[in-house]
Amino acid sequence: MTTGAMRDEWYPVGLRSKVDAGGQQTMLMGEQIRLRETPGGAVAVETADGRALPVVVGHGHVWTSLGQPTRPLFAIPEADQPGRRLVEVGVVRVRCSPLRAVENFLDIAHFPFVHTDILGAEPHTEVERYEVEIREKEDEVWATKVRFYQPQAAKSASGGITTDYMYRVPAPTCSVLYKTCPARPGEWDVITLFVQPLTEELCDVWPWMALYDDVTPMTDLIHFQQMIFLQDRSILENQIPRRLPLDPGMEIPTRADLTSVAYRRWLKRHNYTYGAQLVAQ
Amino acid sequence: MPVALSSDIPPATVIPLQTPSGPMALWRSASGRLSMSADRCPHRGMRLSHGFVRGEALSCIYHGWSYSQDGHCLRIPAHPDLEPPAAIRVATATVCETGGVVWLALAQTESQPPRFSHHTPLRSLAFAAAPTAILVALNGRASADGSMQGELAGLSVILLCAPQPDGTSMVHVLAPSDATLEERLAISSATEALRRTAETALATEAAA
Amino acid sequence: MKLYDYILSPSCYKVRLLAALLGIPLELRAVDFHPGGEHRKPELLALNPAGSIPILEDGELRLTESAAMLVYLASLTSPDWLGRDTAAEAARTEQWLSFAQRLTASLGGARLCEMLLRPGDLAALQAAGIAALRELEAALFAQRLHGEDFLVAGRPTIADIACFPYVALAPDGSVSLDPYPSIRLWLRAIRALPGFIEMPGIHRLHELKPEPVHGAEGEPA
Ligand SMILES: N[C@H](CCC(=O)N[C@@H](CS)C(=O)NCC(=O)O)C(=O)O
Ligand code: FES
Ligand SMILES: [Fe+2]
Repeated sequence: MTTGAMRDEWYPVGLRSKVDAGGQQTMLMGEQIRLRETPGGAVAVETADGRALPVVVGHGHVWTSLGQPTRPLFAIPEADQPGRRLVEVGVVRVRCSPLRAVENFLDIAHFPFVHTDILGAEPHTEVERYEVEIREKEDEVWATKVRFYQPQAAKSASGGITTDYMYRVPAPTCSVLYKTCPARPGEWDVITLFVQPLTEELCDVWPWMALYDDVTPMTDLIHFQQMIFLQDRSILENQIPRRLPLDPGMEIPTRADLTSVAYRRWLKRHNYTYGAQLVAQ
Repeated sequence: MPVALSSDIPPATVIPLQTPSGPMALWRSASGRLSMSADRCPHRGMRLSHGFVRGEALSCIYHGWSYSQDGHCLRIPAHPDLEPPAAIRVATATVCETGGVVWLALAQTESQPPRFSHHTPLRSLAFAAAPTAILVALNGRASADGSMQGELAGLSVILLCAPQPDGTSMVHVLAPSDATLEERLAISSATEALRRTAETALATEAAA
Repeated sequence: MKLYDYILSPSCYKVRLLAALLGIPLELRAVDFHPGGEHRKPELLALNPAGSIPILEDGELRLTESAAMLVYLASLTSPDWLGRDTAAEAARTEQWLSFAQRLTASLGGARLCEMLLRPGDLAALQAAGIAALRELEAALFAQRLHGEDFLVAGRPTIADIACFPYVALAPDGSVSLDPYPSIRLWLRAIRALPGFIEMPGIHRLHELKPEPVHGAEGEPA
């Protein structure tokens, strides 16, 4: 098993708000690591043999890397806009490849069957054509002009609406989605999925959101997102093989899966293969 | 190889099975036809045994793709106007149902599954033990057709053992066709006791 | 009636589910169980010193055990759900309500370890869960021989609702339900009840709705 090119990326390893001087233990790509708050109020992360790892705090979480990140942590400028509520959804462990967890997040076609009567419902199953590109300058995967009919798009939504989405993959195990904001038409709600790869087949998932919603209690916002993600969890734990197949032929995409196709291609191009299956077995 | 009892798979249901050819999904259509397919959706690998049976098709729970009994993809809900290409299909296997037992044909075989004229299926249960250990615990006889005969609760029984890839066995218990309700209940309890014996023997062996 | 609730709690779901099946409206107050640990903070400890949810309030009445809540809801509107037609039936119902606590401790414990990273002896919790599932399977098989689809009778009772959630969610704690044919049929019978509601981890039985006829869908409402 090799961590490959993904070793030099940033990964979420905890909620910043939960790290204290007592510290906490977790795992990153097979290595035990420890997080603690220093007397100066910073966060330190080290491996079991005492090696200090690089640390950055951003988007509500502590990020670290076993290697040497060459880029700063990706920015989410929209999340910094004043008036948004930042929602720390907390961790959920999933027995799946970190890459499968991200790919599921990029997918809308499953809404009617997995998030029934919330993010989708039969007969509104059609996925209209949308646009996908790999933005070379930012080196990110983007899907835009994604539209889907949703019975209850957000906690603050009442009744069904056609929701607009944009998806973005700024790092191999992270995705940011922008969706129609029911409370403030014209703005985008920001919903993210940050995935901590524990091993190639086990991950801790940290959903996080930056929403315009002054009405809904914070706990209800957390629970709405936990409900959605836990509906996905039982799917993710039952895909065969557990690792994401990067070679074509093993699985069959259609036009609705263009984001997934681009994501897999981008992973392969960068040798981001931790959690991937390369040769069809 | 015996894989399930007919009564455990009513119309419009699907169940998961472990077989020597890998995980399989056994499903019965609304009209009662039984089929078996690989337990992996060709789209994104979701286990089809988590799906649902509508009418004569098996649908995947993830994106709702549905498959016919011969494995062809019939419908892709994300593209309602698209006729799914014939190349999209899920692998299938041949099953047959006799005397209330569902059998999987392991290879191209002409031979028919065994018939048991005086016994009918009771229940299936998993033993954390290999068939050899079960035969010892039963103190029974193995037949050429792979079945075991013995006595449980003082009544003649037939056990059909399907070894699982993880070393456990799925055991299908057949009771005398003329057994009363009380006798069937007694055989069911005695099978639980047999399981404790077989599994304890295994644990004792492991400890030795 | 007010339920202190958590969307991922199988114990809270028991109460939501029975209320939905019986058509009893509930006012839900979401408790930040994870990641907030709100159930162990002063406001909730004042209501339930045991630090657990669900908590159900109706006027002066406050309940902190889900089994008692099921008894209360059924007694209010639908006594046939109490499973008390005969002395034996009443006793068996009680037996399953107690058994449900074993499910909470074993399968529920495994689920908290596996899913929400609670410390615990996962292997021991899973083994205890499997032992409980085997007992349940044997009992449900005996019920089938008697021609009954549910735990204590031919009709569903609070015994079924008390046991259903942790069993259905056993895979969340990496305990497989594959080897239990009678449990599978029983879960399905409960999921097919009119008024059934899901919780995350339990999918809709899509087959209960006919396949949409394409071309007849019209405009979204
Ligand atoms: N009082 C029991 C307890 C139910 C239970 O175990 N609830 C869990 C949530 S699902 C809980 O509150 N656990 C407290 C904890 O784990 O801190 C009942 O109502 O059935
Ligand atoms: S994985 Fe089966 S339909 Fe997508
Ligand atoms: Fe999803």
